[in-house]
Amino acid sequence: MTANTTALAPVADGGEGMREVAALAEEHSRGGISNPVLGMILFIASEIMFFGGLFAAYFSVRSQSPVWPPPGSVHFDLRADIMIPATLTAVLITSSVTCQLAIWAIRRGDRTAMLRALAVTLALGTLFLAGQLYDYSQLGFGVNDGPFGSTFYTLTGFHGAHVFAGVVMLAVILYRGMAGQFSAKHHDAVEATSLYWHFVDVVWICLFTTLYLLV
Amino acid sequence: MIRPRTTLLVAVLFLVIAVVYYLLSRDASGATLFVALALGMGLLTYTLVLGAPRD
Amino acid sequence: MATTVLTPTASRARSGLYDWLTTTDHKKIGILYLGNSMLFFLIGGLLALGVRGELAQPGLQYMNESTYNQLFTMHGSVMLFLFVIPMLAGFGNYVVPLMIGAPDMAFPRINALSFWMLPLAGTIMILGFFLGGTAAEGWTSYSPIAQSKYSPGVGTDLWIVGLILIGTSSILGAINFLVTIFKMRAPGMTMFRLPILVWTILVTSMLVVLGTPVLTSALIMLFIDRNYGGSFFDPANGGNAVLWQNVFWFYSHPAVYIMVLPAMGIVSEILPVFSRKPLFGYKAFIFATAAIGALGFSVWAHHMFTTGSVYLPFFSFMTFLIAVPTGVKMFNWIATMWGGKIQFSSAMLFAVGFLTMFLIGGINGAFSASVPVDFAIHDTYWIVAHIHYVLFGGSVFAVFAGVYYWFPKMFGVKLSETLGKIQFVIMFVGFNLTFFPMHELGLMGMPRRIADYSPTAGWNDMNVAATVGSILIGASVLPFLWNVFISLRSGERVGDDPWEANTLEWATTSPPPPYNFDRLPEIRSERPLFDQRHGLAGRGVGH
Repeated sequence: MTANTTALAPVADGGEGMREVAALAEEHSRGGISNPVLGMILFIASEIMFFGGLFAAYFSVRSQSPVWPPPGSVHFDLRADIMIPATLTAVLITSSVTCQLAIWAIRRGDRTAMLRALAVTLALGTLFLAGQLYDYSQLGFGVNDGPFGSTFYTLTGFHGAHVFAGVVMLAVILYRGMAGQFSAKHHDAVEATSLYWHFVDVVWICLFTTLYLLV
Repeated sequence: MIRPRTTLLVAVLFLVIAVVYYLLSRDASGATLFVALALGMGLLTYTLVLGAPRD
Repeated sequence: MATTVLTPTASRARSGLYDWLTTTDHKKIGILYLGNSMLFFLIGGLLALGVRGELAQPGLQYMNESTYNQLFTMHGSVMLFLFVIPMLAGFGNYVVPLMIGAPDMAFPRINALSFWMLPLAGTIMILGFFLGGTAAEGWTSYSPIAQSKYSPGVGTDLWIVGLILIGTSSILGAINFLVTIFKMRAPGMTMFRLPILVWTILVTSMLVVLGTPVLTSALIMLFIDRNYGGSFFDPANGGNAVLWQNVFWFYSHPAVYIMVLPAMGIVSEILPVFSRKPLFGYKAFIFATAAIGALGFSVWAHHMFTTGSVYLPFFSFMTFLIAVPTGVKMFNWIATMWGGKIQFSSAMLFAVGFLTMFLIGGINGAFSASVPVDFAIHDTYWIVAHIHYVLFGGSVFAVFAGVYYWFPKMFGVKLSETLGKIQFVIMFVGFNLTFFPMHELGLMGMPRRIADYSPTAGWNDMNVAATVGSILIGASVLPFLWNVFISLRSGERVGDDPWEANTLEWATTSPPPPYNFDRLPEIRSERPLFDQRHGLAGRGVGH
């Protein structure tokens, strides 16, 4: 059932995500989840729906086309050149791991370890963006190449924009961390940023699966 | 208040609707939106119930 | 209960323009929302008068079709996105923190940002009038007519950008409401002691967070189609016009509940106070609201029955189903009033007006839920009648009820009851004169969104009646504006609780101090002020 399989993939990660969310609540016992973190999670819920609309367009347009990718330039076969996107996937997943390492570090009060992990995350995020732009330059089709081009560039482009926003957030908390602003008890911005970063990673996994792996 | 895990029933409800809807209509865009809704609504309700202070 | 009366000596010096421009106080922001929304109500109303002026008689008297199309497109867009939704958000902003005993919203600066995006967005959308024409393909902007080939010029692009800004403002506001309501309630204010208005804002905020981003995605895809050679919705390029309708209505149907649930919440606050009786079926209201919210996401394609691409039984069934919780609410409101000691203040008149007019709108909507009926009346004036009975007879009446009810709390003075009643009568008569004939016009086959019609179709008299009604509606706004003006200057001053009401916003001064409360009454039920007045022995329903 092509329409649903990939969209179910994030539930697998979503389980881990839910445990993340639960861990946040336990820390604050009576108070529940802190306001900024709660706000970020709700914002992520809205972003899920935003990407949902884009994915809906993709599946709709694809299900109506008798052949997908539509016949045309050989460059439309994304799987022929899957090395770059696969590498980007590995980069982003690694960055999620390092981001989580930063979180665990600051929860124990280890600001130095947090800063190191954040710096690596930031570097990997920037690498992803550079790689994505390079990939775009190699593809040989554009947003105006029919529904295939439109959906591909809109989905990956808006994902890239979200990665960019995440990179900015990471840079901000890295700067604030270096200025000594976070501690084990007070690091809401770091928690919020890392949740956003994990979300961006999950969206990429869905994108990669949908655009490159789905038959 | 209710246990946070109970809110995940909302997500399950919309997933069921998504599957039934797709089987009946074969409409990809609607089914995808229902699935997205299941995820979004599940996350939203779970987090709000979990994150609210114990009354 | 003695509450410290604060004479705002310190604040007077700061209450100038700078203070209003930079405030993060939810009360001032709420008033900004209300004022800005009222301004757009007037603009939307003028656009409507333009539409009705042209339609009064067959033939094109005052404008060409292109201008007419811009008028009805902007009338719809302005009324829905720049008036109704923000007006209700404005009430929420002002009242919700007070009702839950909080000092402000969870994110005060984001609150201010949410507001200021609105005048900017409105200006951008309306700028089209001065830049070659606004969007002109209906507020629903279907493709292919919305594509650049058939709608060249910047109007539609400005409309898209404006709407994306408004959507973002809404989403941020909704997140603010949700965190505030869940995290910042005073001790004793449990979820099941929240006033119904707070519950409706809660569910509405969930709809906004989950629905609005889908509209944003649709708007972005349309923008890419129009400006970057995209092929999402244009059949000529391999796109799919019905895809737009699906993604658009996935938001725009929950949007109508976003427009009506807070209105229902306002009415649910006013009816008990002026019936001197508790709200009937408090918990049922909550579950009905939640049911409407959830079901509201599964009916969107009932706007698309005639496309031939919709699984009809599913959407027809879901649409009928949603009438059930709505009906429950209707019965509960009536039961609230039944046997009560009714006081027909202006607020109450508008609230009762809501009940009767929304009932008509709900019934004529149920007709459309039936697929064969809808095939006949889709895109006719029947639908125009329906949408205005629920949106004007419903939401707008509730808005005015809220204005008369909370004006004293906001400004320390009551609005004149006499002028209020004059406004109500003229508005009520004008509204029904405008929109009731449209049921018949729709059944006779008059289509929507046409600038002109045949003189021999038999539609002339009803169009004249509708135009006369619209002039009455316009006229009714005048006593209202005059009322606001003179009341602010020299209206009857009030204390904390001029209406002898039930909820916490009446437990502080009018207007409240910046931090809202000196002291909170004990909260043991959903009617804490009532309990306080009757010394807890007269405890409300109590949960």
